[in-house]
Amino acid sequence: MTDREALSYEQARDELASVVKRLEAGGLTLEQSLDLWQRGEKLAAICAEWLDGARARLTAAMAARETDGAPGAEAPF
Amino acid sequence: MALETSAEAPVPVRTVLQAVGGWIGKLGRIWVEGQIAEFKKRGNTVFLTLRDPIAAVSAQVICTRQVFEAVAPVEGARVVMFVRPDFNATRGSFALTAIEIRAVGIGELLARLEKLRAQLAAEGLFSVERKRALPFLPGVIGLVCGRNSAAERDVVQNAERRWPAVRFRIEQSAVQGPYAAGEVIEALRKLDADPQVDVIVITRGGGSLEDLLPFSDEALLRAVAACRTPVVSAIGHEQDSPLLDYVADLRASTPTDAAKRIVPDVAEQLALVTQLRDRARRCMRGWLDREQSWLDATRSRPALADPVREIERQAEQVDALIRRARQSLDAGLARAGDDVAHTRARLLALSPAATLRRGYAIVLRYPGGDDPPQTPPAHGGPAPHAPRPPLRGDDPGPPGTVVRAAAEVSPGERLTIRFADDQLTVGVDHE
Repeated sequence: MTDREALSYEQARDELASVVKRLEAGGLTLEQSLDLWQRGEKLAAICAEWLDGARARLTAAMAARETDGAPGAEAPF
Repeated sequence: MALETSAEAPVPVRTVLQAVGGWIGKLGRIWVEGQIAEFKKRGNTVFLTLRDPIAAVSAQVICTRQVFEAVAPVEGARVVMFVRPDFNATRGSFALTAIEIRAVGIGELLARLEKLRAQLAAEGLFSVERKRALPFLPGVIGLVCGRNSAAERDVVQNAERRWPAVRFRIEQSAVQGPYAAGEVIEALRKLDADPQVDVIVITRGGGSLEDLLPFSDEALLRAVAACRTPVVSAIGHEQDSPLLDYVADLRASTPTDAAKRIVPDVAEQLALVTQLRDRARRCMRGWLDREQSWLDATRSRPALADPVREIERQAEQVDALIRRARQSLDAGLARAGDDVAHTRARLLALSPAATLRRGYAIVLRYPGGDDPPQTPPAHGGPAPHAPRPPLRGDDPGPPGTVVRAAAEVSPGERLTIRFADDQLTVGVDHE
């Protein structure tokens, strides 16, 4: 597990799903399940970070439009 | 009628002029075709400049007002004149005196245009494959138009109404008359050479067939075909169709129509963009919400939310194993205890002590010694006949030989008779 991972949202999400599946399937040693659980926590945090970032950008974009003013004021036109 | 002259015998100027006049006069009356470049009326006389239709040469024409007014041609009109070449010997100038002026017939003009159209079409200059698409949002629009013309205002104002930030590079030129085609070609080359210009519009208002002739000029048409930049033709009204319309990449029916074709309506586009942006945002928000609920659900699954449970499960297993281990040990111990009890019972059952209690006795002899060994007296001094301590199953006492038949013993031998609780030593009689 490296500390700063450049995982895309989809990579993190898919890996998280597989981690939970393996945890739920059982049949692991205590150490394996602890490692998996920790990995799952980390992946969930990465997913949450992506989603929070996306939400923040969306919110910023919506806020920007409200302060834009008249449509004619938009630069490229 | 060559003049015979030499350095010694020159002729005077008047003679030369007279000779030239004579030669020119010999041309008589001729029909000539050209284009009226300009004309000036002075008194009853009209002075015209007649330009060659192709070559950049011209000639002066003089005629009476009556001759001129019979046709009343405009500048740029093509005419056929019946003239008499005249040499004015007094001024040394050459002019044509027009006796009759005829406008080149509309029918004939149309026939010539049709011939040119067919020729260029055969060359493929009008083919659909040659047409280039106009840019959606042109960077700079090149505009060729007349000076301060209504066409220019129509194009610029309508384009600005649709898209306020539209940029033009305007090249003004003559749009009718003998110099129009050449000036339009020049303007076109300038605009085509400007890399910022993304589309070129050639425009002018409506006019007569003759007025619009420069826009059917073969050289101009070839220049348009050679342009790298898409060209829009916006000449005259809907019904006007100079050949430029065929060779241009797009034909606009009027200057106003050209404005509509070259820039999008910004309000319309903004509405479209706004609508698309809202849809994109709704879509994005929906996606976010979906993914967020998935993530929340996944995080609340016991496998992630409650890792202690896994440890507890393991701990429970350990506890269970401990319990099982203890139970197994208990069972083992109990079994072992039972075994001991049984064995002891069996041992008791097998012990002669029980038999002795029933009234039997054992006779023992101790060979090698007359007396049976004595156990150390627990109660003081030697007591040979003292009763032995009671027999116990686990204390068989000193070994001796069991007497099983009378023959085994000799007379006088001392024997020990053991009872259940004590013993007695006896002597053997003779027998």
